[in-house]
Amino acid sequence: MVNLPTTPTDIIPFIIAIVTSHTFITLVIFPGFIHLTIVVMFLTWYERKLLARIQLRIGPLYAGGPGGILQPIADGVKLIFKEIMIPYKAEKPLFLGIPLALVFLGALPFAVIPFGQHWVIADLDVGLVFIFAVASLFPSMILIFAWASNSKYPFLGGLRSLFQQVAYEIPMWISALSVVMLAGSLNLVQIVDAQHKIWFIGPAFLSFIVFFIATMAELERLPFDLPSAEPELVAGWFTESSGAVFMVIFLALYMKLYLMSSLITVLFLGGWWGPTFLPQPVWFILKTLVVATAIIIPRGVYARLRVDLLIKVGWTRLLIIALVNVFITVVLVSTGMLPGLGL
Amino acid sequence: MDLSVPPDITFVVLTTITLLAAIMALQAKELIYGAISLGISFIGIAGFFVSLDAPYLGMLQIAVYVGAVVVLILFTIMLVRREEVDKDETGETGESAAGLWLAGLLAVSIAGIAALAGPNLPTTPPEANLPISQLGAVLAGAYPVPLIILALLLSAALLGALVLAKVDR
Repeated sequence: MVNLPTTPTDIIPFIIAIVTSHTFITLVIFPGFIHLTIVVMFLTWYERKLLARIQLRIGPLYAGGPGGILQPIADGVKLIFKEIMIPYKAEKPLFLGIPLALVFLGALPFAVIPFGQHWVIADLDVGLVFIFAVASLFPSMILIFAWASNSKYPFLGGLRSLFQQVAYEIPMWISALSVVMLAGSLNLVQIVDAQHKIWFIGPAFLSFIVFFIATMAELERLPFDLPSAEPELVAGWFTESSGAVFMVIFLALYMKLYLMSSLITVLFLGGWWGPTFLPQPVWFILKTLVVATAIIIPRGVYARLRVDLLIKVGWTRLLIIALVNVFITVVLVSTGMLPGLGL
Repeated sequence: MDLSVPPDITFVVLTTITLLAAIMALQAKELIYGAISLGISFIGIAGFFVSLDAPYLGMLQIAVYVGAVVVLILFTIMLVRREEVDKDETGETGESAAGLWLAGLLAVSIAGIAALAGPNLPTTPPEANLPISQLGAVLAGAYPVPLIILALLLSAALLGALVLAKVDR
């Protein structure tokens, strides 16, 4: 705790004390705003470059830096100076407000994601439920935004997004349940701590598969991109967005991609654990980028699922596999083969 | 009420947000804004839970009420046309009398169970900020009867919804 300055000469040490305090560093620099912004901008460039390589193209090149890595900055400047088109009879406050809320909701869960043993903003006891609660707000936001656009394409996309995300949330969080049983905690720091010896991708492999597939559906990534079907719905629920509104939505989507990748790293890939020649946050970010790559690659490889197949996969396959893995975990934990809740 | 103690600022802010949002939910001209205000009101209630040292309940409040109930309401508002909602249902048969009888029976049985189990309930509240594993133990160990009564009420509400939604063909 820093004392408030009383004389003018105290102000500079006061500012230095604030800037070097742990709270300020974790909140603003790492893993807070600056780190998030840089990684999200990097991810937009990375996806374009990766997809281009898959399709034997070159991708962004001319914006400067090696491989055109400054492309996101050029994109941002371009989008900011574009006109914001608001559709006829659209609900203006919602149309402009919801994208900001989406970015806020995308950034909020990073408060509880541990990037290292001490690199966490809020060491919350119910961290996983917190992320669950915040993530459950996304579908309603998307539906409201789609409705506020006052256009048929966004509305169709919004409805698709809603039923897809609601359907895949269930197998997703049931598969997270076996991780919670293995770690005996909802605190993300303790969940990573429990993976010191063995990563949970081993004992909970089925859960990992289910969680990964459900994550793809939550992120509306191919092969689950029905809500933003590019050929038919033309980007789905955010068809009508343009200029800065589009940029903010784009940021929110990539922030969610980064969030879900880091959540998979926390739950299944041992979080910050790794050989000690690299610091913990570096291991965490490396693993997260590997997961993000695995989420991006199918976009260049697979075609889209039909609606009926999507629903069938979600309710009759993933849900059952997730429940089977919960059962396996109960057996593993209760027979004492793995440490856990001590049932 | 002791007015000499200054009110807790968190409590005042949360109460204002929750109540204003609840009033907005009832008064909004556009149903969508009503649903959004309802969501904000639910988030305010979650804030109460968090400020009362029950963060787990607060998170579940957001996940269940804002994440699921408000989505359902939005869905219904967007998909059901106004005239279908306003349509008057007047099919008076013996059903309403039977319904009243059954509701009365349910109320009497719940009151009976509560009266029988009341003396056995613990009089001191469980300590604040329980670990989640102990929360389950307290709920199933010390308060089984209220839990069962809540389950009865929920299933009665579900049956009632089924009856209301039934369409005679």
